[in-house]
Amino acid sequence: MESIALKATGINKYFHDPVTIPVLKNITLDVRKGEFVSIVGKSGCGKSTLLYVLSTMDTDYEGTLDINGVQATGKSLNALARIRNESIGFVFQFHYLLPDFTCLKNVMIPGLRLGKYSYKEVEARAYEKLKMFGVEDQALKRADKLSGGQQQRVAIARALINEPAIIMGDEPTGNLDSKNTGIVFDLFQKLAKDFGQTIITVTHDEDFARRSDRIIEMADGEIKSHGK
Amino acid sequence: MKINVNTEIALTYLSARKKQTAIAAAGVMFGISMFIFMQSLMKGTNDYFEKMSFNSTPHIRLYSENKVADTHMLNSYLKDSSVKILTNPKQLIQTLGINNPYGIIKEIIKYPRVANVTPQVTANVIYTSGSVQIDGNVAGVNIDQEDKMFDVQSNMIAGDLHDLNRVNNGLLIGKGVADKLSLHVGDNITVTSGTGSPTIMRVIGIFATTIKQIDETKSYANIVQAQNLLGKDRSYVTDIKINIDDYNNAPAVARDLETITGYKAEDWVQANEQLKAAFKIRAVILNSVIGVLLLVAGFGIYNILNMTIYEKIKEIAILKAQGFSGPAVTSIFLQQAIYIGVLGGIIGVIVGFLITLMVSRIYIGAGSLKYLPMSFYTPHYVEAIIFGILTTVAAGFFPARKASKVDPVTIIRG
Ligand SMILES: Nc1ncnc2c1ncn2[C@@H]1O[C@H](COP(=O)(O)OP(=O)(O)OP(=O)(O)O)[C@@H](O)[C@H]1O
Ligand SMILES: [Mg+2]
Repeated sequence: MESIALKATGINKYFHDPVTIPVLKNITLDVRKGEFVSIVGKSGCGKSTLLYVLSTMDTDYEGTLDINGVQATGKSLNALARIRNESIGFVFQFHYLLPDFTCLKNVMIPGLRLGKYSYKEVEARAYEKLKMFGVEDQALKRADKLSGGQQQRVAIARALINEPAIIMGDEPTGNLDSKNTGIVFDLFQKLAKDFGQTIITVTHDEDFARRSDRIIEMADGEIKSHGK
Repeated sequence: MKINVNTEIALTYLSARKKQTAIAAAGVMFGISMFIFMQSLMKGTNDYFEKMSFNSTPHIRLYSENKVADTHMLNSYLKDSSVKILTNPKQLIQTLGINNPYGIIKEIIKYPRVANVTPQVTANVIYTSGSVQIDGNVAGVNIDQEDKMFDVQSNMIAGDLHDLNRVNNGLLIGKGVADKLSLHVGDNITVTSGTGSPTIMRVIGIFATTIKQIDETKSYANIVQAQNLLGKDRSYVTDIKINIDDYNNAPAVARDLETITGYKAEDWVQANEQLKAAFKIRAVILNSVIGVLLLVAGFGIYNILNMTIYEKIKEIAILKAQGFSGPAVTSIFLQQAIYIGVLGGIIGVIVGFLITLMVSRIYIGAGSLKYLPMSFYTPHYVEAIIFGILTTVAAGFFPARKASKVDPVTIIRG
């Protein structure tokens, strides 16, 4: 039996503004270790919302969530923060770097927070990640001075710094040209195949989705298809 | 260089808004330097007045006081373990004056902390010169001891105080008395006490303290002369004045001396209630001013942090999404407050010292007070730093806690 990286059981979530509406309806989902999964669906169907729940950031839901075989549901916020720092890399739909810091620092911060490696090592690793996405020449620039696509690549580099077991992306390639999208895809695939890291990405890019291991289709807060 | 990531983020945020940081730190600086300056001024002034009061008041004054009858006579008569009970005790008239004063003085000198002891005969008198009469009091003293304890010499404006030992019927009068009766050194003055006959005395000197009331009433005579004025014998003494090594111990020593001698021992704190009241009032005023200053400084910090948090709320959400826990976020913002406080505090301590130094050189020349009395007292600086830190932490705590409670999903979803 292959080990499960992420397991969601019977997730329901509601928004109460202005009236109570269900956004996620009874979502049950398993993602294996080393699997590269794409989530697709129409705008507004609840993909981002689901991803926030799966990433442990959102705790306001019904159902249970297990990360690496450990139940995350019901854990304290501090414990969840620790899980995110150590095991989950997240790429937001709209990059979201810290503008006062250099790109290098942005990538380093989660690594420094984890405290597993020395400052020098974290710096070297961060630099190496930037290099993988071709933004190493921007390393010492303030993050808000970069183009959208460059910022997105820095954000992906940042998600990888702690070598998390699970990488989640909310349209991580939404701002990228086809060449850079290709680079990101190949890298994700390599991380999954060679290093057993699990990738879960929301994408509107059909080509990107088709080439991943599995496509989960969502519609109206429900999973329509779990893929093969 | 290994600094904590929280510290690094805190410092980056501070240096990204240099101007606001500087303003907030300036607020703290102002609060701390004023704290030090005002404390120094107050302590300096208080010390000055305290010292001044010791020019006329001894640390402890021993005198006899009417008191309620107690069992002490019975105790010395019936030295057994029987229980003595007085029913309906009454006030007893004392013979005004201390029994066996020189025996008691010997007793007191044996007490370890006592530095100086001198007897005094106080007589309420009427000074007469020509047709003018004024009320006053004569202190019959041993002028050499008196000078040693109260530095009478420093108040002398005419004559020689040692003439009190040489000139028969000599009198050393206050400047106010001299002015009112237009007396000069060498003039005669008639002194009348309630119990004795009028005596003609000779002005041998004039003194001026800074206290008008004393100058207008007081005069010094030889103790024997004062006893004569009152028509009393050589063993008649009304007060024994005692100075001790450290006047702050006066209340405790006074209590001991009371038990040893059986007479009332009044320490300078009791004798100077109004001085103490003035100290207290000044302290209240000062503390309110300082409180306001620190409050303003605190608000400066509170404000800049609140603004930072408002602007950076998205970034806080990102940090939390990346695994910064609530306490880590609190630490980031609390550290910012602390660095502002430390920066403002250090400069404030220096500026406070400089202001104190400068003001202590301002010449004012009122009476014997030439310069503003400022004290340079290390605990003020320590207190200023402690208060600064407390204010900073208190001001930083609430914004920091608010930041730590930011819900990343709500913010990131927009
Ligand atoms: N704070 C909120 N309050 C109420 N409704 C919300 C809130 N946030 C999102 N929704 C609703 O929840 C639904 C799902 O939103 P979500 O952002 O998950 O969509 P999505 O699938 O990521 O869309 P997109 O592809 O455009 O990013 C939408 O209908 C949206 O209007
Ligand atoms: Mg979305």
